[in-house]
Amino acid sequence: MKKPSIFVKAGNVDFTFLIMVIIILIFGLTMMFSASSAPAHYMYEDAFYFIKRQLFFAILGLVGMYIVSQIDHNLVKKFSFPILVLTVILLILVLIIGQEIKGAKRWISIGPLSFQPSELAKYCVIIFMATSISARKKKIDRFIYDFCPYLLFCGIIAGLVFLEDHLSGAFTVFVAGMIVLFVGGAKIWHFLLFLPPVALAVIAAIAFEPYRLKRFLSFLDPFENYLGDGFQIVQSLYAIGSGGFFGLGLGQSRQKYLYIPEPHNDFIFPVICEELGFFGAFLLILLFVILIWRGIKIAIDAPDTFSSMVVCGIIGLIGFQVMINIAVVTGSMPVTGMPLPFFSYGGTALFFQLVAMGFVLNISRYSKDKNAIGHS
Amino acid sequence: MGKKSKLILNKRAVFVLFAFCFVFLLLTVRIGYVQFARGKDLQQKAIEQQTKDKIISSKRGIIYDRNLKVLAQSASVDTVCATPREISESKNIDTIAKNLADILEMEKEDVLKIITKKSSYEIIKRKIDPEQSEKIRELNYKGIYLTEDSKRYYPYGNFASHVIGFVGTDNQGLNGIEMVYDKYLKGVPGRIITAKNALGTDMPYKYEKYINAQNGVNVVLTIDEVIQHFVEKELEAAVEKYSVSKGAACIIMNAKTGEILAMATKPDYDLNAPFTLTNQADIDVLETLNGDERQKYLSDARNRMWRNKAVCDTYEPGSTFKTFVAAMAIEENVVKDNDTFNCPGYHVVGKWRIHCHKREGHGLETFIKGVHNSCNPVFMQVGARLGNQKFKDYYKRFGFMDATGFELPGEASGLFFSENDFNEAELATSSFGQGFNITPLQLITAMSAITNDGKMIRPRIVKELVDDEGNIVKSYESEVIRDVISKDTAKKVREILEGVVSEGTAKNAYIRGMRVAGKTGTSEKAPRGNRKYVASFLGFAPANNPEIIGLVVLDEPPADGLYMGGQIAAPTFQKIFDSTLRYLNIDPQYTEQELTQAETTVPNVEGLSVKDAEIAFDGIGLYYKIVGNGAEIISQTPKGGIIIPTESTIMLYTEENAENMVVVPNVVGKSISEANILLTNAKLNIKITGSAEGGTEAYVGSQNPEAGQSVATGTIVTVEALYKNVH
Repeated sequence: MKKPSIFVKAGNVDFTFLIMVIIILIFGLTMMFSASSAPAHYMYEDAFYFIKRQLFFAILGLVGMYIVSQIDHNLVKKFSFPILVLTVILLILVLIIGQEIKGAKRWISIGPLSFQPSELAKYCVIIFMATSISARKKKIDRFIYDFCPYLLFCGIIAGLVFLEDHLSGAFTVFVAGMIVLFVGGAKIWHFLLFLPPVALAVIAAIAFEPYRLKRFLSFLDPFENYLGDGFQIVQSLYAIGSGGFFGLGLGQSRQKYLYIPEPHNDFIFPVICEELGFFGAFLLILLFVILIWRGIKIAIDAPDTFSSMVVCGIIGLIGFQVMINIAVVTGSMPVTGMPLPFFSYGGTALFFQLVAMGFVLNISRYSKDKNAIGHS
Repeated sequence: MGKKSKLILNKRAVFVLFAFCFVFLLLTVRIGYVQFARGKDLQQKAIEQQTKDKIISSKRGIIYDRNLKVLAQSASVDTVCATPREISESKNIDTIAKNLADILEMEKEDVLKIITKKSSYEIIKRKIDPEQSEKIRELNYKGIYLTEDSKRYYPYGNFASHVIGFVGTDNQGLNGIEMVYDKYLKGVPGRIITAKNALGTDMPYKYEKYINAQNGVNVVLTIDEVIQHFVEKELEAAVEKYSVSKGAACIIMNAKTGEILAMATKPDYDLNAPFTLTNQADIDVLETLNGDERQKYLSDARNRMWRNKAVCDTYEPGSTFKTFVAAMAIEENVVKDNDTFNCPGYHVVGKWRIHCHKREGHGLETFIKGVHNSCNPVFMQVGARLGNQKFKDYYKRFGFMDATGFELPGEASGLFFSENDFNEAELATSSFGQGFNITPLQLITAMSAITNDGKMIRPRIVKELVDDEGNIVKSYESEVIRDVISKDTAKKVREILEGVVSEGTAKNAYIRGMRVAGKTGTSEKAPRGNRKYVASFLGFAPANNPEIIGLVVLDEPPADGLYMGGQIAAPTFQKIFDSTLRYLNIDPQYTEQELTQAETTVPNVEGLSVKDAEIAFDGIGLYYKIVGNGAEIISQTPKGGIIIPTESTIMLYTEENAENMVVVPNVVGKSISEANILLTNAKLNIKITGSAEGGTEAYVGSQNPEAGQSVATGTIVTVEALYKNVH
């Protein structure tokens, strides 16, 4: 038995992955600054308002990333239950003491900063699911006794997030858990079995809140509902369409001037398309694809199934959010509030994303294939 | 979990990777589709919402006469606009409305209504005075601003109103050159494109694109302002003097180039107030009407007022047309100068007996004499010799079937008999210019074939288009429509027409030394027998080398007064041509007869000794009479430098206040010789204008100074010689 220690010695981190994280982070911060400068100017008369906050969380996140990359990854497994308890408490707490912004209680204020428990919930579900599945002696063979408990767990956590009136957040939490369950070896037909009820739930959610139905319909023909719910998509398409191949140039977006609602948030991608054109959009997608490829490789080369599953979960979560975000802003699916990882404004999300990258880097140190710099 | 599980995990991880890659590929295609396939459309819509335009009006081009005198010009004025959205933020909106209303002479409620509208742009008042602009600028209200607009000014008012035309409130050409050349005159408005955010306010940074307005091109007319003024003045006077009831038209054309030097229609209207009726009869009728009826009448009356008679109205030309029948006959060689015809006062064509204007008949006369006398039976016979087909061919060749293609709007093309209706009798009346309708412009254009050795020239009124730097943008050239007759025929016709003025019915068009040629016309309007006439004169000068052609048309002079072309149109033509030929510096060519009736310049002898004065008068053909006992000439009547007929007497005074005053006798209506005796007896000098023949036929049409005035002895009394019997 090794002597327990927080920090362990292992190989060097995966350099390609690290570089990708750094490039995406810098790219993201740059574009966030560009996009946010306009609303920041109008809302606070300070173009730096949002970027200052985002930078603070980026630095905090980088520190977190470094620490997590250096610790013994088994600690994460050990602490998975306390993390779960903490998450549940916070998710309940936010419903009570949460700060209400635009009719939704999603943030807990801590001094001048605010914390979004749903971000934590995404990673909590990944860690807890991975811990549980890796600890199993048997395969996930039976639908009722093996598959459904995981489904129920994810459903409960997602349900708590949903209570914040945060459908997309709940959906993301659920999908994060499902990715882990999927790579953890659950049977494909089990997934197919619960597709119909999920579809029903989505339809029900839409039916009960008419604004969701409107949003849903507006995606089909945004120009028809230009002055209503199609407005965001129309403005987003205007921005994307204005970009051409190389765009209007960094900082030259015109759509960010109050046309696109909150261009620093969910609709940052259109601003990138407008300023950097197809080239910029393609570059962004390429960077994420490389990140995902490298991440999956790290998962495959991981020393144990737990860390492999967590890495898959983290990478899947990032990929899923990028995918949904781009699909929404290009008018390819109904509007749902999905931020673009590393790009959209949001301190909690950025912090956890970087910390999660720290975990992936941590695992990369155990890779059998060493293309990272330095020695093993 | 075992090795197997790890294997499944790896497989599924790879599956996740590929799934993402696949979805991202689809999304990349989707982005490409939005950016490239729909990019243009989306981009344009985006720019539309992101920018706001401000139109900068272009300066409308100037209309010049041929010597670059300004006939129409635009000046900058201001239009008051409002941005109600900005004003609504103000608390004292009531005061703003009141102050604006006071300055702009509007109702406060009206102003308030405009500035409280839910919009970002409203016009309060257009084209305000500079003083009002100044006051509004001083107020400096937020949301009230002035934009540059332009207003059209016509410095000569009524002058050439039917040619120049006018513009509407948006400076769009509505008539005449203003309308036809609108596309050149108006220019291209510029724009200021400013970026705006979604609230419509300015962006935090400056984005402005300035597209300069292109000023309109200036139009240079072939009109000569001086000649046009002669025409306006004499035509106006003729309408007044001869009580012409249906208006008048006159065209002066350059005989060689087809350029219109002057074109006038009476009554006219003020270009600076083109919607105000000028015809008193119309104004009176309008007073009695209201509602739709009034509106309709007003609209019709305006259209009548704006109608260019010289171009848009047709009439039966009457005897002026004989010019062309003579040309046809000579060209076709169906008549010789000395062929004799008999005029018993009528001519029988088929079952019709068609009268000459001279009921008692001209008797036996040669062809030439027939033209001089404007004898209808002669022309009926000449027409018959030509035959219907030849007549019609030439009629067409002279351009009477088609519009000339003139630049001004609404040109009519005339009306001729249909194929089956043009028979023997119609040919007979057509031969003296009755039965068909043509425009004055067609008639003068046809005359260009006579003056131009057979080549008919297209009339035109625009000389060139020039930009503000004076560079010629477009230049219009003379164009021969076609060869109508031979050079010899044209020359022959010119000689005959000169005879019409010197010996025939057009003696009233005579100008000493100017070799005027032309043809009178008195046509009876259809239906016949109503005694409604159109008096006209078509002529040119000098006959041997024509420089200008002129046509005067007087519509419906009173049948119980002077109504014949020779009586009223020829003297009007004569006055216009006299001034115009002098203005154009056409050298006089005196005939021998004219030379014998020489005129001379009075020497200035004031201040000279009596002896020197006597020397000065030696051998110059003037008499003089010394009054008083002084040694020196103190004053003289007439003054030195004045041109008077030889054998006149000059009064020379050697003492102060020695002038004898006499009362001018009335000589109007007397024969020229009677007038001469009366004036000489009154110790006055006579100067005759008009025909210099001074034969017994001529009478005095007018005199200056008028009868009853007290003048010094020796004063020149100018008398206008006119011929009564001009048919």
